[in-house]
Amino acid sequence: MAHDPDRAKLEGLAERIEAAQAARTPAPRVDSKYEGANLAWRMVIELVVGLFIGFGIGYGLDVLLGTLPLFLLLFTLLGFAAGVKTMITSAKEAERLGKSRATPGEGD
Amino acid sequence: MATKEDGGSGFNIHPMDQFVVKPLFGGDQLHWYTITNQTLWLFLTVLAITALLVLGVRGRAMVPSRMQSVAEVTYGFIRKMVEDICGKEGLAYFPLIFTLFMFILMANVLGLVPWSFTSTSHIVVTALLAMAVFIFVTVLGFAKNGTAFLSLFWISSAPLVLRPILAIIEIISYFVRPVSHSIRLAGNMMAGHAVLKVIAGFAGALGVGAVFPIAGLVALYGLETLVAVIQAYVFTILTCVYLRDALHPHH
Repeated sequence: MAHDPDRAKLEGLAERIEAAQAARTPAPRVDSKYEGANLAWRMVIELVVGLFIGFGIGYGLDVLLGTLPLFLLLFTLLGFAAGVKTMITSAKEAERLGKSRATPGEGD
Repeated sequence: MATKEDGGSGFNIHPMDQFVVKPLFGGDQLHWYTITNQTLWLFLTVLAITALLVLGVRGRAMVPSRMQSVAEVTYGFIRKMVEDICGKEGLAYFPLIFTLFMFILMANVLGLVPWSFTSTSHIVVTALLAMAVFIFVTVLGFAKNGTAFLSLFWISSAPLVLRPILAIIEIISYFVRPVSHSIRLAGNMMAGHAVLKVIAGFAGALGVGAVFPIAGLVALYGLETLVAVIQAYVFTILTCVYLRDALHPHH
């Protein structure tokens, strides 16, 4: 007869622990929403910076060699490609970090 | 709601004034040795880090005090991050990465103090930090791997014809990293603080109706606190990623 109140107490305790843990777990999700915006901005910067560095290298080479439109065009395109490549790298990086942090359902 | 906004005279907002570097002890010329508000706040950053990490853990208690647990949690967090990203051998560079993190974090957080000066909102500061990371990582890569470090740029899985073009792309994207590294931090800090100032200016201009701008300010201030911490974190995590590239260029 003395078992029942104890068991009820234990079950109540288990429920309370679960509730307390559930109350703590959603905290990182707010962060990851912000991190998404952060990642997007990072990628935009990388794209633009890549373009500008390519443009700078091309223009510099053209001024040195006196072939104005040639390297400018070539290196701007290469810079764009480099920007896209950096963007993809950082996206992959974010994906891997997200996986290692083991938060399912944050696929996008 | 806004009864006094037709005054117009109170509507002079100067959001960028907070970023002006001024000499601290009079004079209006800036030399390389002039002590400015920038110098002061960089120095205060170092003081704050010392206060947290040296004075905070002075007790060395088994049950840590508040300051001590903040210091220990920060230490443990960054250490785990370095270990996760760079592996065991990356831990040799943990002091550098932890120093960077603490410096940026403290500079960002101190910038949130009213009337303070945000040293990390200047691209000079962040570009110097990013340059330091860039040069360190590049030198380390060559020192550890020799010319094999160049295999970072030479994609051996691509067809031979494409490799020189890909190498140029890889090299450009290698140089993109420090630039975006520094622009991101300075841009985030500057934009956030300028927006805060603009909204605060609205509050001043609206008079009685200022409840809404003030509520917005409170929310934005919370967001800025988040940005201050997350930007320090992002800067550090990217440093770890670059460090890993230097330690293991083949992957």
